[in-house]
Amino acid sequence: MGLDNDKNLRGLAKAFADLKEEETYEILERCVAGNTPSLQIIHHLSAGMDEVGRLYKEGDYYLSELVFSGEIFKNAVARIKPLIEAAGCSKSSGTLIMGTVAGDIHDLGKNIVITLLTCAGFEVIDLGVDVPGEMFVETVKASGAPLVGLSTLLTTSFSSMQDIINALTKAGLRGKVKIMIGGSSTSERLKEQIGADYYGRDATDAVTIAKQIFR
Amino acid sequence: MNSHERIDAAVALEIPDRVPLAPLLDHWAATYCGITNAVLMSDGEKRIQAVIKTATDFHWDMTYVADTAIPGLLKLGVPAKLKLPGEDLPENSTHQFEEKAYMNVEDYDVLISEGLIPFLATVMSRIYPDMTIESALIDLAAVSAEITSHLNRVKEAGMVPATGFMLLGTALEFLSYARGITNAFMDIRRYPEKIRAAAKRYREDILPLALDAVRQNGVKRIFIGLSRSSPTFIPPKVFADLCLPDLEFFTHRIIEEGITPLFHCDTDWTKCLHFFARFPRARCIMELDSFTDIFNAKKVLGDTMVIKGDVPSTLTAGDSKQEVLDYCKRLIKEIGKGGGFILSTGCSIPNNAKPENISAMTEAIEEWGYYS
Repeated sequence: MGLDNDKNLRGLAKAFADLKEEETYEILERCVAGNTPSLQIIHHLSAGMDEVGRLYKEGDYYLSELVFSGEIFKNAVARIKPLIEAAGCSKSSGTLIMGTVAGDIHDLGKNIVITLLTCAGFEVIDLGVDVPGEMFVETVKASGAPLVGLSTLLTTSFSSMQDIINALTKAGLRGKVKIMIGGSSTSERLKEQIGADYYGRDATDAVTIAKQIFR
Repeated sequence: MNSHERIDAAVALEIPDRVPLAPLLDHWAATYCGITNAVLMSDGEKRIQAVIKTATDFHWDMTYVADTAIPGLLKLGVPAKLKLPGEDLPENSTHQFEEKAYMNVEDYDVLISEGLIPFLATVMSRIYPDMTIESALIDLAAVSAEITSHLNRVKEAGMVPATGFMLLGTALEFLSYARGITNAFMDIRRYPEKIRAAAKRYREDILPLALDAVRQNGVKRIFIGLSRSSPTFIPPKVFADLCLPDLEFFTHRIIEEGITPLFHCDTDWTKCLHFFARFPRARCIMELDSFTDIFNAKKVLGDTMVIKGDVPSTLTAGDSKQEVLDYCKRLIKEIGKGGGFILSTGCSIPNNAKPENISAMTEAIEEWGYYS
C-alpha cells in the first residue's frame, strides 16, 4: 500500500471526475488488488463525485455528464460492495423518500437526484412515479425518514404537491418531515405557495439540502 | 394585412402591421372548450372544432392543430410507449411517454445498414407488439389524411396552420426515446461513432417523408423539435459533433424546397444559439419555451430569423392577468422592436392555464402590438 495506494486513490478520484470510465475501473481494480480499504475507495469516489457536482454547478459539465458519472459510480460501488459488506461498514448517511407526484410519470429528474443522493451515501426510498399522498404518508410512517422529495415536470401537478403536503399534515407527520420540491416547472415561489421547506433548482441542490438535514 | 401576410412578413424580417399572435395549442383546447383530454385525443372532429374555436375566440394569426395531441402521430413518430388519458391515465391528464430501453446497442447497426423503416419495424414491435409495418402504414395514411383535412379547416377559418410536418428532432433526440435517455447519454461517451453513422442514415431517410407530407398538405413550414440535444442536457461540443450535422442537413434541404424550418427549442439553448446564426437570413423561425433567455436570443439571432415566444407556462397557469400583460408588453417592446417577432406561449399552453391569462396575450397585442 503506502505511496502506491495514495497514488491510486488520487488517480481514481481524478479519472472519475474526468469521466474516464475505463481508466476509473482499471484503477479501481488496482486498488482492490492492493487491498485498499473499501472505505478509502468510497471516500475518493465521493470526492470525485463532488468534483463532478462542482463542475456541473459551474456550467462545465452538463446533465448527460451527471448521468454518466452516476452510472460509473454505481458500477464502481457494485464492484466493491462485497468488500464493504465484509468490512461491516455499509452504514448510510441517512434515509429519505423520493417520488414523482400523482398525475406525472416523468422520472428522469427524480432518477438523477436519486443517483446523486445515493452517490453521496444516502439511502433513498424511491416511490416511483404518479405517487399519491397516502403512499408518502404510509412510507414516512413506516420508515421514519425525516426528508421527503417531491418531483414534477408539469404545472398541472402543483395541486398534487399541495395534496401530498396536506396529507402529511393531516396524518400528523408534517412536523416530523422536511419537504423539498424540484422539477423544471417548480420554483422558490411555488415552495412558498404550497408550504414546502426547500426548493432544489437542480440535482446537486438536493444533495446539499439532504446534507443539511442529516448533518 | 391578413394573418398569412403578417406571418410571412415576420418570417421575412420585415415589419408587419402588428406583432403576429400564435400561442402553441394542444391539450388546453380541451380545457377551454369543456371537453376531456381523452375526448380531445380520441375524437378528431371534436379536436379540430376545439382548436378552431380556441384560436378564433382569441384572434390568433397562426395555430397548431393540436398535432401533439394526436395519438396516431405520437405513436408512429416517437419510439416510446405512449400513455393516453382515458386509457392509461385519468381522462383529463395530458398524454405521457413511458421510456424504457426498447432499443439495444446492436440496433444502431440495423438503422445504419438497413435504414429507418427496418429499424422502426424492429423497435416498434417491442413497444407495441400488435403493430406491424402494414398496420403502421395504414395508420399513417389515415393520420396524414386527417391532419391535411384539419390544416385546411384552419385555413378556411382565416388562420395560418403552424406546420405541415413535425420532425421529432435530431437523430440523438429520436434515438434517446428508443434507447431511454440514460442509455443515450452513456452511448454518447461509449459509442459516438455509432450515433454519427446512425444519425446520417436517420436524417437521409426521415427528411423525404417530411417533404412529401408538406408537398401534399401545402403548409410550408416544418417543425423541428429540439430539446434533448440542448445544452441543458449535452455539452455544446457534443451538439456540434453529433447533432449539428442533422440540423444543417434538415435546414438547408428544407429551405431549398421553399419551406420554412421552425426550430422548436425546449429547455435552455442560450449556450448554443450561435450555431443557428449560420442559417440563411429571414428563412427560419426560432420558437422558444421560456427557459432560453429570449432577450439574448434576440441579440444573437435577431438579424437572422424571427423569434417566437415565450410567455411561460408558470405565468399563464399560476400568475395574474396583469403579470401576463406586463410580460407581453416587455416582449413586444423589446423583442418586437423593428419586427422579427411572433408573440407566443413558451411551449404548449398548460392544461391549467387561466383563460383570462390567454386573453391577456390578445389584449397585449391590441394595446402595444401595432407598429404604426
